[in-house]
Amino acid sequence: MNEAFQLEDRSGLKRLDVNFVLVVIALNIIGLINLYSATHGAAATGLSQRFLVQTVWIGIGWTLFMVVTFVDYKIWTRAAYLFFVVNLIALAAVPFLGKSIYGSKRWLDLGFFHYQPSETMKVILVIVLARTLSKVSSPGGLGIKQLVWPLTLTAIPFIMTVKQPDLGTALMFFAIAFSMILFVGVKKKLLIGALVTFLVALPLAWQFGMKPYQKNRVLTFLDPSRDPRGAGYNSNQSIIAVGSGKILGKGFRKGTQSQLEFLPERHTDFIFSVLSEEHGFIGSMTTLGLYFILFFLGIRTGTQARDKTGALLAVGGLALVFWHMFVNIGMVIGLLPIVGIPLPLLSYGGSNLLPTMVALGLVSSVSLRKFLF
Amino acid sequence: MSYLSNPEEQVKDYSERFKLLYIAVAVTFVIFGIRLWYLQLFRGTEYRFWSEENRIKRQKVPAPRGMILDREGRVLVDNQPGFDVVITPQYSQKTLDETAKIVSEILGVEAKSIVKMVKQGKRKDGAFKPVIIKKNLTRDEVARIERIRLNHPGLRITMPIKRTYLLKENGAQLFGYVGEITKRQLKKFNEDRVPEERFEQGDLIGQNGIESFYDETLRGRDGTSYVQVDAFGREAQLEVPDIFQNFQQLQDSEPGKSMILTIDRDIQEAAYNAFVGTERIGGLVAIENKTGKILAWVSSPSFDPSHFWPKIPHDEWVKLINDPFKPLRNKVIQDHHAPGSTFKAIVALAALQEKVIDINTTHFCPGYLRFGRRTYHCHARGGHGNVSIVQALERSCNVFFFKMGIALGINKIAKYARALGMGSLTGIKFKNEVPGLIPDTDWKKKRFGEEWQPGENLSNAIGQGFILTTPLQLAMTFSGIANGGPYYKPYFIDKILNVDGQVVKQMEPELSRNPTNKLNTEVQIDPQNYEIVRKGLWSVSNGERGTAKWYKIPGVELSGKSGTTQIISLAPDQVYVKCKTRPIQLRHHGWFVGYAPYKNPEITVAVLAEHSCSGSGGGAPVVRDVIRSYIEKYRPELLKKKRVAVIKEIEVQDE
Repeated sequence: MNEAFQLEDRSGLKRLDVNFVLVVIALNIIGLINLYSATHGAAATGLSQRFLVQTVWIGIGWTLFMVVTFVDYKIWTRAAYLFFVVNLIALAAVPFLGKSIYGSKRWLDLGFFHYQPSETMKVILVIVLARTLSKVSSPGGLGIKQLVWPLTLTAIPFIMTVKQPDLGTALMFFAIAFSMILFVGVKKKLLIGALVTFLVALPLAWQFGMKPYQKNRVLTFLDPSRDPRGAGYNSNQSIIAVGSGKILGKGFRKGTQSQLEFLPERHTDFIFSVLSEEHGFIGSMTTLGLYFILFFLGIRTGTQARDKTGALLAVGGLALVFWHMFVNIGMVIGLLPIVGIPLPLLSYGGSNLLPTMVALGLVSSVSLRKFLF
Repeated sequence: MSYLSNPEEQVKDYSERFKLLYIAVAVTFVIFGIRLWYLQLFRGTEYRFWSEENRIKRQKVPAPRGMILDREGRVLVDNQPGFDVVITPQYSQKTLDETAKIVSEILGVEAKSIVKMVKQGKRKDGAFKPVIIKKNLTRDEVARIERIRLNHPGLRITMPIKRTYLLKENGAQLFGYVGEITKRQLKKFNEDRVPEERFEQGDLIGQNGIESFYDETLRGRDGTSYVQVDAFGREAQLEVPDIFQNFQQLQDSEPGKSMILTIDRDIQEAAYNAFVGTERIGGLVAIENKTGKILAWVSSPSFDPSHFWPKIPHDEWVKLINDPFKPLRNKVIQDHHAPGSTFKAIVALAALQEKVIDINTTHFCPGYLRFGRRTYHCHARGGHGNVSIVQALERSCNVFFFKMGIALGINKIAKYARALGMGSLTGIKFKNEVPGLIPDTDWKKKRFGEEWQPGENLSNAIGQGFILTTPLQLAMTFSGIANGGPYYKPYFIDKILNVDGQVVKQMEPELSRNPTNKLNTEVQIDPQNYEIVRKGLWSVSNGERGTAKWYKIPGVELSGKSGTTQIISLAPDQVYVKCKTRPIQLRHHGWFVGYAPYKNPEITVAVLAEHSCSGSGGGAPVVRDVIRSYIEKYRPELLKKKRVAVIKEIEVQDE
């Protein structure tokens, strides 16, 4: 055991997927440059607090990334339920101790920062599902019995988060679980059955489950000109920002849509609009390309995993980052309705960055251990 | 440890699905890439335009409005900076109560109402639009606000340019006023305008008088500039190289042209003082006989046009439109009334020219005349005895002119009246002029479907009945009589100047009609007949029994004619007796039209003194004062030449 550990450690740095790490670093740098623009008005002198805070988050993020990378991921999967329960307790405490912002309670005030339990839950869900799903594989796909437990694990945080209300984050749980379960494989009959149920449930959920503002967002997405000054305003302004960047963009800190505050939430949810406006098609395609490389390298890591747990961790970790990117950029460029989902590695804030770095750390950790046997 | 089964084998189960993952990621990348291409390359120019539209606001740079000057270049209407105190809601949020308190002490406005105004303004126009707390601060108030300003965020003094009418109420109906364009005007004026020149809500345009009639000349052309604003409409600084790429060039404003009027400020002020000093209601116009230039133009009661800039307070507006004496009406041309006895001068000319009488013809006036089944009264109950045409004019004998009316008939009277300028527009370039009315038999048939009654010749011959005229019209007619024939088109704009002071348009006197040589007239009137009537008009203030003999200017022979317009029909013997005791709205209007000097007259003044009971009492003293001010200024040598003992003025109300 001791010997094996040393062997692992010595070869660790060499086996580290350097390209993967470089891509993450590149996205971090792009994120910081872009955040600088988004948080510094024309008249700003010195560095804004948000920018400084974000550099600290990135520092902490990398520490976590390295810790997760170099510690055998088996440790995390073994402790998965402990994390899960602790996080559930935190999530359960939110309605009672939580801080209310914009009419929903999502945060616990820890003094030095606002902790959002639903964000950490995403990465813990990945670990917990990797552990569970790696043990239930069966030829021909999973059946109902095998799915009960993984779905229960997903449903608990899902419901708690919907109640906050935070439909966006809740749907992320669903998306992550959905990706991982589908990856493992589901019996065809069951899949078709689930699809039919979903199609039936959708109108019902629309009718009874959604709040008016949520319905409004969806309707506005389907027809943004419906209410250009109201619900469609953000979407329209974002599309204008992205489109007005043209090929080369308006230049660093010269994006009028963002600098003059036509873009709402420009440092968080609409950070990609800022990038697209100031750096144009070239800038946004470069960034998109880096994500693409990130996912390709990640998936390759998955294919080389030493065991199913590793493969599922890689897939889950990537799913987490992918779905965030997918929903965020999709909404910013007008392909999806407006939901409050940040863009991993680019948006401001630690609540999202740290789980992202942990998720990427898990992928990296899998890559470190690919050739052990 | 736990790796008992072959883990690599296990992972191989997934290999097919990993391929799916690659595909899913690749497809996403392609879709997003296409979308970005579509937005940024395919439609990039369009979205760039919209982003520019977002941040660039077109701003009007209002052109300075032209000034209005008197004939000597003295300013009558000007643009002057005013001082307003404003509070911007956004910056005064925390300190509003405190600010309101201290400002209320300085301005004497209630603190509560200040807070209310600011909050209302915020709700209506947003937090960044300054709310005007008080306009037109005094210098002292400005100084005190400036002293506390820095401790009260959001509190500020602004200096808007204000249209200022230096004569205040005097001449308000002539100058008019400037105010915000109304919704109806907006629609009407923009119909046939190119988009760049369209009016916008909040634009100020001339709403009355010269300001309105010559709005195009005075207004100039607004320029445009572009400012960058943020999402909240605040002006924002941000260096962007291609800042106005997609927008048309900036356009400088083109200042409005100034106008030099024919008005003489001194005469105008004398006229207004004479009018208002005697608390007269009505209109006055003074013209130059030899040119038609208007020297003074007064309508009373009046208002201060400055209050309309940019918007008149509602209660003040309500007061103005509900005033029974209609301050907003331009009584010089907008209202017509029966000319009363002033019309006798016209009938006299007709009678002389038609040879109904000559200078020696006399008629006996017993104080009344029976005609048909009615008795027509003269105002002198005892009668005027034997009177000639000159004496009939001097004493305003009704009986004499009843006889003229019978002899001439309305159609002949009408022909002469029209030749003298009655019953039609004077041709002045101004709005709202009414033409008055000279009736004849055809007119009556058309209007009422009735035959002209012989008795109506009598009443119309003394200026009652259907005849209607305006002060300006009467002034023109009398200027023609004074001139012995020719009279000119009245006008009040002498020159139009551009911003550099160069004359771009110079008006010249234009002869309107001349009955002595049938210029623009149907009938001819011989000069000697003019002389006879002029003699009669001279007697009105210079003869021993003249109706206006109390109103003289020593050294200057003032001529003229008085007239009274009955508002309601009363028994003739009660007409004058009861006038002063009636409610003011039921009292008669008085007319007086005078000119001077007797030889070679230079100025004619017509006064309509509404509800003043009589022309000699109500109109003559005003005419006398205006003409005196003219003589003092332009012909002072006349006053020095003859030193006649000043006759004490007697307050006479009745003729």
